[in-house]
Amino acid sequence: MTGVLVIEDDDRIRLSLVLALEDEGYEARGVATAEEGLVEQRSRPAETVLVDLMLPGVDGFECIRRLRRHDGVPIVVVSARDDTHDIVAALEAGADDYLVKPVAIKELSARLRALRRRARAAEPTTDMPTLVFGDLEIVPDAGEVRLRGTPVAVTRTEFRLLCELAQHPGRILSRQQLLQRVWDHTVGDERLVDVHVGRLRQKIEPDTAKPRHLLTVRGLGYKLQR
Amino acid sequence: MSRIATVRRAAAVCRTALRPRVTAGLRTRVTAGFTAGALALSTSIALVSYQVARSSLLAERERTAVRAAYLDATVVQSGLAADRPDILEILRSLDTGGNRRAVLHRDGEWYARNLDAGVTSAIPPALQQLAHAGEPVVQRVRAGGQPALVIGVPLAPGTTFYEVDSLIELQNTLRVLAIVLTLVALSTAVAAAALGRHATGYVLRPLGRVTDAAQEITDGNLTARLDPAAEPDLARLTTSFNGMVDQLSARMQRDRRFAADVSHELRSPLQTLEAAASVLARRRDRLDERSATAVDLVNAEVARFQALVNDLIELARSDQPADRSPVDVPDLARQVCRTHGVSPELVTVEEGTERTWLVDRRRVTQLLSNLIENAQRHGGGPSAVRVGTDPDGYLLTVEDEGPGIRPEDREVIFDRFVRGRAAHVRGAGDGTGLGLALVAQHAAAHGGRAGVTDRPGGGARFHVHLPRRDT
Repeated sequence: MTGVLVIEDDDRIRLSLVLALEDEGYEARGVATAEEGLVEQRSRPAETVLVDLMLPGVDGFECIRRLRRHDGVPIVVVSARDDTHDIVAALEAGADDYLVKPVAIKELSARLRALRRRARAAEPTTDMPTLVFGDLEIVPDAGEVRLRGTPVAVTRTEFRLLCELAQHPGRILSRQQLLQRVWDHTVGDERLVDVHVGRLRQKIEPDTAKPRHLLTVRGLGYKLQR
Repeated sequence: MSRIATVRRAAAVCRTALRPRVTAGLRTRVTAGFTAGALALSTSIALVSYQVARSSLLAERERTAVRAAYLDATVVQSGLAADRPDILEILRSLDTGGNRRAVLHRDGEWYARNLDAGVTSAIPPALQQLAHAGEPVVQRVRAGGQPALVIGVPLAPGTTFYEVDSLIELQNTLRVLAIVLTLVALSTAVAAAALGRHATGYVLRPLGRVTDAAQEITDGNLTARLDPAAEPDLARLTTSFNGMVDQLSARMQRDRRFAADVSHELRSPLQTLEAAASVLARRRDRLDERSATAVDLVNAEVARFQALVNDLIELARSDQPADRSPVDVPDLARQVCRTHGVSPELVTVEEGTERTWLVDRRRVTQLLSNLIENAQRHGGGPSAVRVGTDPDGYLLTVEDEGPGIRPEDREVIFDRFVRGRAAHVRGAGDGTGLGLALVAQHAAAHGGRAGVTDRPGGGARFHVHLPRRDT
């Protein structure tokens, strides 16, 4: 499964992206609407999905939410919109990464490779012991997170972020460090980290206003508390 | 954009017009007017009062003096009616008080009490002749340097009784009156000046609020407005001021939106171009020479077009404030070097410089990026990237060993669409012409500034000063 599904309503952009991604060695397919994309992903799941935000009918945000309902497939937004509001909304809907058009094919390819590495890291491995943070358990060899014994559904990016923090219990990791380690960004957008931390909190913290595990250290970054 | 600059300038002009000229000048003028008016009025009232008081006091004094003189004359006349009258004795019997001095002129002889000797010189000859002719006379004269009244009463042919009445007391009274009236006039003027100053201050206070609002707008707060309810008398000014600011900010927003919209619209076709160009570039080796050259051109121009659109979008965000967060600047500088293929070893941190600065990460990243690109494009690559401090903030310096910047170009290179002369010489027009303008803009967003000087030993030294913020 090396496929990339491109959901983009502009025919020329879709075609050029498919051509360029095929050149980069991906098996790329393109669809023009969110509806088609959702059907396509259910029948022939791709490894990664690229979504435009401005789509006719079901828009990109809703498309991301519906894709998320099924699984943790990595979703990358490629949009001409670059205001904070759109970026945060797309990430909150469940996107793993956000790129602003026009994105260089090399950059896009690098992000996709990073996502693939992340997906691998989230696959069951046996070389890491279960990490326990009070009632929170992270089981790397099962690729699973449990809260009071109940499994919690997290995306691969969220799992990777949690593992990164769990490997350094109590230590502060800056947003930039997390961007580098989880997203492979050299110079990146810190909102990616903030939104993902927010999403993780909703899943693992009983009270997101008063987090007990995933703490913000003002001005410095985040840490996972035992 | 330039429209924004115009608006800023308009607001600045509006503010200067309101502050120094109107407030100072008008206030002084009104105060001076009040003072001059009050002074003229109180002076004329004082002068008239003085004149009226003086003439009525003099007339009254004259009447008293004449009455007393006639009374004395009667006494003298009845004394003279006696046989062999002792004139001096008669004169001595007169009760003349301290002010009046009596003399008798009889048959060419002057008779006076010892004390009053010499007083005759005060009686003018013309008056004597008149009295001699049988006319009763009254004249004001100066006797021994003091004002006096001479009254001549002809008693008989060849006999005239004179009294010289000193007016020194009246003169003293009038002097006191004059002083009092002058003081009153002056204090009225001073009071009027104070009133004028206070009143203008009071009236101009709402204009002070207009000034403050104009200043706020100049400083970038486009939401600053005046409260129309605060000053009903200035409702028109308030309304038109607010209307003006509404229009200006609407126009600025329109301009910004336009620039942003245009750039966004350009992004989609650019995405197609970028992807299609990369497909062509991959097959470059299989193309003939002419086609390969064309593909190279397309790729280079797509890259430049992309950079231009990104820079334009960035410029359209010009007046957004810096979004500050703690940033490890030496680390960031090394990262930027790496992304530009420059050795991170070039980055040096001055001793005593803190690592973490409270700045806008995106802006500082782009600022460093653009300076390094500029050095690569025009200066043969950066020779040093320094992270340091200056007295009131932080200092980022990027040096190159290229041809340097001519003194007359040092200001304009931070303007939009200005490319280095050196670039034309080399024929490498691959910059967007916006890089340094963005550097200046990012510095300004932090309240700082960008500049360039000569690098000792040749080349250019670009420096960006960012004021330190603790919160």
